[in-house]
Amino acid sequence: MNASEHLEERKEASTASLALVVGILIGSALAFVLATAPFSALLGPSQAAVPAMFHGLAAFLYLFVGTIGLYLAWRLWTGRIRAFADLQLLATVSATLSLLAIVFGNWLYIYYRAKDPASPRSWFLANVPVIHKIFFEFKEFIALFTLPLTVAAAFILWYYGAQVLDRKWMRYTVAVLLALAFFYLVVAFGLGAAVTKLKPA
Amino acid sequence: MSATAVERDRGVEVAWSPSPEQPRESGPAVAAPLAAALGMITLAVVNLGTAASKAFNEWVHGIGKLWMPGAEGIGPYSGKQTLSLLVWIGTWIVLHGALRNRDLNLGRWLIVFLVGIGIATTLLWPPVFEYLAGH
Repeated sequence: MNASEHLEERKEASTASLALVVGILIGSALAFVLATAPFSALLGPSQAAVPAMFHGLAAFLYLFVGTIGLYLAWRLWTGRIRAFADLQLLATVSATLSLLAIVFGNWLYIYYRAKDPASPRSWFLANVPVIHKIFFEFKEFIALFTLPLTVAAAFILWYYGAQVLDRKWMRYTVAVLLALAFFYLVVAFGLGAAVTKLKPA
Repeated sequence: MSATAVERDRGVEVAWSPSPEQPRESGPAVAAPLAAALGMITLAVVNLGTAASKAFNEWVHGIGKLWMPGAEGIGPYSGKQTLSLLVWIGTWIVLHGALRNRDLNLGRWLIVFLVGIGIATTLLWPPVFEYLAGH
């Protein structure tokens, strides 16, 4: 059997099997977590616990997907990518997770800037104003950059399909878009995590 | 021959979407990043305006309150997002329509895009916009 025949014999995993694996993984994780800790203790007593959970979850998932996307973006840059279809999917998932992180971030922001002396914004302004005035303000803006960057990358990947592979500057453009999105994500994620560590909402 | 070309020659599916029959012009690949950069620059400029003018800040907040759930609590940030979104989507529609049949130099426009995003990022660094706003 030569290499060409071997490749043609490969069959892709079905979408149903992928959904089953993801379902089993998430279900197992939830079962273990709920068996070892009460749900209320996981979220904490804060009113902002629910938006904080969703915002953090979306941002973390985006970081996970974005990391794989960054690797595939580099492969695309070099012109030696084998998983082009996966990159199309990952760029789309990244854009979706970016949107979700922004939407939940807006919800959480209401608690962050509440006119309550105990709110994180009030606390930072009273104690360490530089945290809010420089780091948080920068984070809240650059986090928004991830959405148009990933949407633009996903658009080009779907609009041109495999034609992207033959056009050097189009490969570079998509790779740069995804790399920049990852950069802004990491900066926003790091600053967000630091702010949450210092004073949770 | 590159690795990707070898894969395609063997008939392995490489993309989810079927590739267009004819090579598409590069215009839409310029329009998408360029519109994104314009949206980001809008965010930076609007934010600078809100830092410089209280009246403009209130107007921007009013824009957010027109449609965004929770905009009262979110504050002027809701209006900044709204205006940035409008410019991004609006210019994308216009640019896509204008450039869809044009073949442009992608390398040159990638540099323009990078300069734009660099300007937006610089203007959003708080010490910079606070200084420009006269604080």
